[in-house]
Amino acid sequence: MIPELEIYKPNNIDEALALLNELNSDVKIIAGGTDVVPGMQQGSARFKNFSSLMDVGNIPDLQRIELCDDKICIGAGVKFSDLNRNKLIRKYFPLLAEAAGKVGSKQIRNLATVGGNFVNNAPCADSVPPLLVYDAKLRIRSSNSERLIDLEEFLIKPYKTQLKPDELVAEIIIPLVDDNYRGEFYKLGRRRAVSISRITLAVLLKSADNTITNLRVASGAVSPIGKRIYKVEKYAKGKTITEELLKELSTMLGREILGETGLRWSSPYKLPVVQQMFYQLLLDLSPNGKVRQI
Amino acid sequence: MITIRFKINGKQIEVETKSNKRLLDLLREDLGLTGTKEGCAIGECGACTVIMNKKAVNSCMILAGQVDGKEIITIEGIGDTKKLHPLQKNFLKTGAVQCGFCTPGMLMSAYALLLENKKPSEEEIKEAIEGNLCRCTGYKQIIDAIQKTAKELSAVV
Repeated sequence: MIPELEIYKPNNIDEALALLNELNSDVKIIAGGTDVVPGMQQGSARFKNFSSLMDVGNIPDLQRIELCDDKICIGAGVKFSDLNRNKLIRKYFPLLAEAAGKVGSKQIRNLATVGGNFVNNAPCADSVPPLLVYDAKLRIRSSNSERLIDLEEFLIKPYKTQLKPDELVAEIIIPLVDDNYRGEFYKLGRRRAVSISRITLAVLLKSADNTITNLRVASGAVSPIGKRIYKVEKYAKGKTITEELLKELSTMLGREILGETGLRWSSPYKLPVVQQMFYQLLLDLSPNGKVRQI
Repeated sequence: MITIRFKINGKQIEVETKSNKRLLDLLREDLGLTGTKEGCAIGECGACTVIMNKKAVNSCMILAGQVDGKEIITIEGIGDTKKLHPLQKNFLKTGAVQCGFCTPGMLMSAYALLLENKKPSEEEIKEAIEGNLCRCTGYKQIIDAIQKTAKELSAVV
């Protein structure tokens, strides 16, 4: 049962920041509500220690997607259905658009926000691996300060981030990726829709003359939180693309993930899938590979 | 207690209710609109689907206080026993209703789809109802009913 709580509905960011400054950890920010409302309904311990809610769902400045110079700025309150449909996102960050379209169900995507996804920081947050490979930064504001931080640094551990009680994530800033990258997003769940991801992978590959010039890879759900796998990225750089290399990279990815998580009951079935999928994705993204249709 | 003003099935209303109610509770308990069902209460089954500002949403995931200023359509708003909505007629015709518990939510998802897409493909229909579980029909008849309705409605225009 949900306790009786005061609900504040600021009309703009400044009002929201003033409220956060005043109420601090007594107030919980709610955007789409798809984690908070059922969490409270189920009496989850993560949604208990506050006496009021602040609904930021009606703040227009949090809903914008704009091209600013060589970056795209995405309001933290942008809903997944809008992110999935947006032309700029589809053009410049197709992996993010695809991940947004695979979150939950139609109903959930119509409510849930991209900011809420990583502020909640569940291991299975679908938007995190794409945001990580695109080197997303966050603009975080409080009533008397503002800071820019890499998403990667912002995420600490499952359900824990660097966000302070008086702060609000205002926007996500992603530098435009150069055209020579090809990428894919992969999600495995127990069913296609309304499923908690078991494995997610986001991969961006740039190559020239059959040599890898840059590889970026991030995993979700199989790692405790979304993570870039730098060891694999570094190893790949400058190497000639052969089946052997791709196999080697996939084995290495599996080892890195296992190192992150330790052996779990699900490792024997998940690891071979992660490795095989990564291999397949690399093959598809290689110059001679067949690109699968998204 | 909180006071909220919003539009329900075309009518502007003002309700005083408790702040801990979800939209689902507000509809069923305060407004007597029991066509909207509670299934899982965690956004997985879609039985509580309603339309908010022209989009399908789970009413179990929205607090009453968040509805202020919004426009809600429930199953009661699209047709009644005297005048069924074409979707409702076709659900009956094609055998898309068995136990009936998922039906209101399923209809609302279908209704939302047809609001933004008059000629949906089978894939688009499947995507629109991906958040609605039906344990009886196997979905085939539901998809048929939505296809049939889309055809009828676009033929009229």
